[in-house]
Order: sequence, then structure tokens, then C-alpha cells
Amino acid sequence: MTEKNNVSMNILQVQNLKKDFGKHQVLKDISFSVNKGDVISIIGASGSGKSTLLRCINYLEEPTAGQILYHGKDAEQLNRAEYHSKVGMVFQSFNLFSNMSALDNCIIGQTLVLKRSKKEARERAVAYLEKVGMTPYMNARPSQLSGGQKQRVAIARALAMDPEILLFDEPTSALDPEMVGEVLSVMRDLAEGGLTMLVVTHEMGFARDVSNRVIFMDQGVIAEDASPEEIFTNPRQQRTREFLSRILDK
Amino acid sequence: MQRPVGNDFFGWIAYLLDSYGSLFLQGAGYTMLIAISGTVLGFLLGLLVAIVRTIPVNKKDNIFKKILLKTVGFILNVYIEVFRGTPMIVQAMVIYYGSAMVGINMDTLFAAIFIISINTGAYMAEIIRGGIISVDKGQKEGAHAIGMTHWQSMVHVVLPQAVRNIMPSIGNEFVVNIKDSSVLNVIAVSELFFVGKSAAGTYLRYFEVFAIIAAIYFVLTFTTTRLLRLLEKKMDGGKHYTIYGSQSASDASIKVEQGEAVPHD
Repeated sequence: MTEKNNVSMNILQVQNLKKDFGKHQVLKDISFSVNKGDVISIIGASGSGKSTLLRCINYLEEPTAGQILYHGKDAEQLNRAEYHSKVGMVFQSFNLFSNMSALDNCIIGQTLVLKRSKKEARERAVAYLEKVGMTPYMNARPSQLSGGQKQRVAIARALAMDPEILLFDEPTSALDPEMVGEVLSVMRDLAEGGLTMLVVTHEMGFARDVSNRVIFMDQGVIAEDASPEEIFTNPRQQRTREFLSRILDK
Repeated sequence: MQRPVGNDFFGWIAYLLDSYGSLFLQGAGYTMLIAISGTVLGFLLGLLVAIVRTIPVNKKDNIFKKILLKTVGFILNVYIEVFRGTPMIVQAMVIYYGSAMVGINMDTLFAAIFIISINTGAYMAEIIRGGIISVDKGQKEGAHAIGMTHWQSMVHVVLPQAVRNIMPSIGNEFVVNIKDSSVLNVIAVSELFFVGKSAAGTYLRYFEVFAIIAAIYFVLTFTTTRLLRLLEKKMDGGKHYTIYGSQSASDASIKVEQGEAVPHD
């Protein structure tokens, strides 16, 4: 690329983000930025604010204070539909539409939000279902699929919107252990394909091997933001060390 | 008119069916017309009310929208409470004779359908609101996350599921309407009970006439519940789906029964 600085490479910039639920401060002062091609794992104990951070970036929760810049522009001023199609989200509990087939789940957002033709939307949906290995099941309803299959459809649904960045909120936490692998391998493929990803996860293997940056959150703040090598072999903070020893012992 | 052959119960039944049968059927027709239109219009009214009452209010919305929603919400609450809290027979009297007093002379059939619709609407509003709430919040978030608006997610995701979930309650309302439309005889609409009342009055044979009327009501409600059950089954869609392609033969397709197809979960 010919850009002289990394401004154009910068997709998201979170600035001094705060979120309170009543008197409870969940996010205290979060700032970080995401560049194109980044695969960032966000780790930390339950209640540290990881999921809330992701939900604020997607405006599923309104931030109490602070800003989210998307390509340098205040995301709040942007068209919400457009922002959401560019910043996709994959949920812990899949959140597929249970009144539609897997295929229709991947079509509806394209036709309603992106105004694509039925035919084009269908072709893209099939292509993304193929990518996650779910074409054989495209006519099945979510209730007829296993957890891992549902999550793969949910990933295809998010990809069909052509997002610039995909947020994953503990995508494997609701799965039976034998299904975690199929979803992680899809995510690994996406990361290798250059998709920008922000992944809240408890899968330390994924964080260490796939991501290029790891953010450790503790009590509503970013305690450490570094490369996976640094976090996993030589964490600077005592609390990072404690968290890792707790979770890796298991 | 010829007197019945025998003066016993069955003699009277036979005689009544012979001389009043077609009127009974006409009365049953009116009853069904009132019940069906009342349920359908009441459903639409309830849907409208429930949709308005579940519009999310955002902190950042302008003050005008907030005040408007609050006011409309208050009016709708009053409507629901009043119509659920008073008997339909009383509502019928107040509306029919009240409107006559201000110079609107309603046709009795129109009045009957009007009264039963707004009465049903009050119940439906709460039933549908329950249906909307019952659709898990995650699916709304899923819709939100791919950029769908509140309305788009309501129309395409929430309402289809909400309506399916409340089908048993809608059927219930329908059956109640078939039976409770009988109270509308007070405004002299010639539905089944009204026809029965006049037949019974003519011969002073209350027991025989209302035994027939009861049987007709039962046939109406029983048939209705069966048909609704079939409709529900239909709404659930196919129990199987097709798996397309396989490693060896890409054009193969396998039909799979629900439950058996799924290797895990």
C-alpha cells in the first residue's frame, strides 16, 4: 500500500469508552484501535467487561461515555444500518432466526439492509455457507441443527453482509466440547483469509496461535495489550499472570 | 302450523327441527360470521395495539416522540382495562343504545361485529404482547447486528414467531367468541341464541329448543378447534428437510426426519 501512515489502515478506534449499568461501572476507560487484518483476542475473567465492550462497539448497548471512530468518523453519526453491516457480530448463543432456514438466515439481511436482489443474495449466501461447510444443511431450520452447525450458519450470516470487521462474543462458550473444534477451525480459516476479527474468547489456544494481538481485560479496564508471545510467555502484569495460571491449569 | 306428532321430548325435537331448522342454521351462520369477523378484526386491532405498545423508547429519541408514545400508550391501556374489565353484554348495551342516542343508528349485525371486535381486540392486545415478549431477545439482537431496523425485525423475525406461539390462545378466543356472541342477542341481532329464544317463546318449549341450540354450538366449537389444530400443524412446516450433495455424488439429496437427522445436540 502507498499510504504513508496507518490512518487508512485503521478501521476502528475506541476512545475513552465507559459503560455503567446503574451505579455499576462495567467499562471504566477503554481505548484501543483495530487495524485492517488484525485478529485481536480479548481475554479476561467473567465480569471483566469483555462482552459489554463488544456489545458497545456494536451499539447493542449504548455507551455511557466515549467515542467509537469508524475510519476516523464518529460511528454514532453514521447510518446505523450501514455501520452494522460493516461491523458484524457473532453471538455466544447463535441468535439465528428460528422461523427461517439456514439459507434464508443468510439471505434476509442482504435483501433488506443491503438491498441486494434475491438472486444475488442467494448466490452469496450459498457461497458463504459453502465456506463454513454448511451447504448440505442450507434448508434445515436452526432447531434441526447442532450447536456447532448453528454457529457456523451464524458466521455465514455475518459474512454475507461483507463486514469489514467481525466481532465474536464467546462464539464457542455455549458449545459441547466436541463441537468447539469445527467452529474454531472456521474462525482460523477466516483469520488466514485476512478478515479483521475481534474475538472475546476463553480459548487460549486460539488466542495464542491465531491472533496477532491479545487484550487482557480486568475489572473494566484494559490491563495489558500486547502480542500473544508477550502475553503468554512474559506478561508484564501480575494480574495477567494470575489469570493465565488459573485458566491454563484447568 | 301442524302440532308435533308425539308430545314427548323427541317428538318436539323432530317438530322444531322441521319447522325451525333452517332458521337455526341461519342463526348459526350469523353466529359464525360474527365470531369469525370479530376474531379476525380483533386480532388485527390487538396486533396494532401490541405493536405500538412494544415500540422501544430510546434515551436519545426526541421529546416529541417520547410524549406521543406515552400518551398513546396511556390511551391504549385505558382501552384494554375498560374492555377487559366490563362484561360484553354491558358494552353492547352502552355502545348500541349510546350511539343511537347521538343519532347513529347502527345495523344490528354491524353493531354486533363492531362490539365483539373491540372486545376481542382488548384481549388480543395482551395475548400478542405476550407472544412478542416470548420470542427470545437474542433473535432481535441478531437482527439488529446485521443492520435490520426495529420494524424489519418485527415483521420478518419476531411477529411470525409470536403469532405461531400464540395460535392456541387465538383459537381459544375464537371459540369463546362463538359462544359469547350469544350475549349480543340483547341488541336483537339474529344470531343462534336469539333465534332459539324466539323459537322457544313461540311454543314455550325452552328445554327442547335449547337442547338443540346447545348441540349446534358444540358442533360449531368442536369443528373449529379441530380445524385450528390442523392449521397449527401446517404452520409448523415440514418435519423433514433435505441434505443436498454428498462427498461422492454432489447431486444426491437425502431426506431427513426431524430429530433423527441431527447427529449431535
